[in-house]
Amino acid sequence: MWIRSADWLEQAQAAVRRYPEKDSPVSSRPFAVIEEFNNWRQQPDLAEAVAAIRALAAVIRASEATTMMELEIELKKASDTLKAWDTTSISLTAGCDLFMRYVTRTSALEFEDFNSAKFRVLGRAEKFGEISNKARKIIAMLSQDFIFDGCTILVHGFSRVVFEILKTAAQNKKLFRVLCTEGRPDKTGVLLAKELAKLDVPLKLLIDSAVAYCMDEVDMVFVGADGVVESGGLVNMMGTYQIAIVAHSMNKPVYVAAESYKFARLYPLDQKTLEPALRPIDFGVSVPPKVEVERSARDYTPPQFLTLLFTDLGVLTPSVVSDELIQLYS
Amino acid sequence: MPDVQSTVLEFVNKLRKRKIEGSQATAKCTAELLRSVISQQRVPHANQASALIDAVKAVGEQLVAANPVELAVGNVVRRVLHIIREEDLSLATAAMAGLDLLDASDDEEDGNSKGVGYSPMSAAVVAAAARSTLRPPSLQTLLEGTPESAAVPYTSSSGADSESKTADKSSITRKLKHDVIEGVNHLILEISGCHDQIAEQAIEHIHQNEVILTLGSSRTVLEFLCAAKEKKRSFRVFVAEGAPRYQGHLLAKELVARGLQTTVITDSAVFAMISRVNMVIIGAHAVMANGGVIGPVGVNMAALAAKKHAVPFVVLAGSHKLCPLYPHNPEVLLNELRSPSELLDFGEFSDCLDFGTGSGSPLLQVVNPSFDYVPPNLVSLFITDTGGHNPSYMYRLIADYYSADDLVM
Repeated sequence: MWIRSADWLEQAQAAVRRYPEKDSPVSSRPFAVIEEFNNWRQQPDLAEAVAAIRALAAVIRASEATTMMELEIELKKASDTLKAWDTTSISLTAGCDLFMRYVTRTSALEFEDFNSAKFRVLGRAEKFGEISNKARKIIAMLSQDFIFDGCTILVHGFSRVVFEILKTAAQNKKLFRVLCTEGRPDKTGVLLAKELAKLDVPLKLLIDSAVAYCMDEVDMVFVGADGVVESGGLVNMMGTYQIAIVAHSMNKPVYVAAESYKFARLYPLDQKTLEPALRPIDFGVSVPPKVEVERSARDYTPPQFLTLLFTDLGVLTPSVVSDELIQLYS
Repeated sequence: MPDVQSTVLEFVNKLRKRKIEGSQATAKCTAELLRSVISQQRVPHANQASALIDAVKAVGEQLVAANPVELAVGNVVRRVLHIIREEDLSLATAAMAGLDLLDASDDEEDGNSKGVGYSPMSAAVVAAAARSTLRPPSLQTLLEGTPESAAVPYTSSSGADSESKTADKSSITRKLKHDVIEGVNHLILEISGCHDQIAEQAIEHIHQNEVILTLGSSRTVLEFLCAAKEKKRSFRVFVAEGAPRYQGHLLAKELVARGLQTTVITDSAVFAMISRVNMVIIGAHAVMANGGVIGPVGVNMAALAAKKHAVPFVVLAGSHKLCPLYPHNPEVLLNELRSPSELLDFGEFSDCLDFGTGSGSPLLQVVNPSFDYVPPNLVSLFITDTGGHNPSYMYRLIADYYSADDLVM
């Protein structure tokens, strides 16, 4: 017993000693994380959370830590810099939090020595891209039951998961029609329409303001997510909220497709609670200088407007989200 | 096992011809049948659990296909599968603990030759990993995953120790089967006792001089109301008659026989009467995973009326009615169209109806659905044998009762 505590003391002292003198190389490290993150983000099929986790894995690999505690401190710093770099990105924050939580929960005790624990964490982090891809496949599979022949689906913006769902449905020879909103200001809906047209899915493009006009021909609404928050609500591209309200008032189901790593520990009370992600908007004509422009890129949809969430954890009601988050972070 | 095969066939036929009515009776019969299937099933030495699971699944598929609308059958099959998995796991954990001790003593003798095929992980870790396979996937396990090394000893746990001690083997085999049958017996008791469990809570929900509305005939509701009456609550019951089968009439008769103040109203009078009602209590045919309810036809109308007047809409359901599936298109897919003779007399309308003999389509059509779907936002409270629950809490109960692997059969 005594031996162990002496050992522990020594390590703790070593850790304390190490930090002050390491201050100078540490200052260059935040740069490295962000660069790594941006490198990963270049890949077209990679979600932001995956890039974040891969960047954090790179931190682990470069780390000279010899105890789990040291590693955690280093990772915490790196994840804080990552999060501070883009405070508006929910999936970045959620990805960092999820990974940090995982590292904290993987105690070296379970694996008897530090190195095997470290390798395990690294291995899982590197597999995370795969996990994310698999999640998309699972979600696509789960949602197939809900797409019946002859249905009309309204989608908003470009979401990789929603695209995967529609692609799988088309491959399963389901007969359905898709209405794509334009997705101003960056025309993401047009992008989705282009991809779907390649699959020979019957399509109709509409301007964002035509949603209510077209809602009577719609059977269900599919949207992706930037993040799913603790209330079970949804943070997604601007316009999702109004589509959900219109769909709700006309009794059409609104389905959200989101990988579970997008569950974020946030509890927005209204639209303005979240820090807005601003984006330049081109109106085509010059805007008089004194006129204010709303440039927020996303909005918050409260849970009562959502019907079901399709996630890799299964088909869930919005209230399950808080449960999952509480389980993970308690 | 020809006798089991024939009883299965007999039950399948009964289900197909809709000879068994009511989800409780069906659930109980299913559980009893599965119990005899398990007791007759010969199990191999290795992987007995999977042999049992396969046997139960094979029978279960036949039963579900025989009457896909009666969700209680599938629920009971899934419950039994869950029992097998759980019992196997608890045995495996116990065996692992024993093995771990053996392993440790071996270690001392032959130094560091630990390679018996087991990872250097403790039995606790393995058990935890195996346990997580029973649970539905969660955010917690997203990154952790099941360690591959843990999966191997788990599946071969019963096979591995058979090599060393064959004598113990048969006792373990018998133990698993015995435990499973014990578990199924427990389930059967639970199914037959659910009325009492639910009725016990009646006093908390029904108050003096209240007016209760119910629709259709449900034994659970009857027991519930009578339990409140027995506790000296005096209240009045409105019974909607439940056309076209008029099961409400039977319920009213029973209620009167037990001394309750009863009023029979037509189904179409529900909206007119709802403003005088303090609470609507109905029995469910099935409860879906999102908290939606499948009930006797007309129930959705009652639920909408209750919503309009802010009257609590309470659903009574035994836990065997909890279905782990999400409804899509429930009005059509989970419904059953019954004979037109319940609506119209054959003699009077035989001229208008075309019984497939004449040419062209008949001018008169009869649609007689037996169920209604009530969306979760219209339900105020579920009362199950484990207590009162919110519709949004149903998924939690389902996670307790069923294994994630069995959801799709």
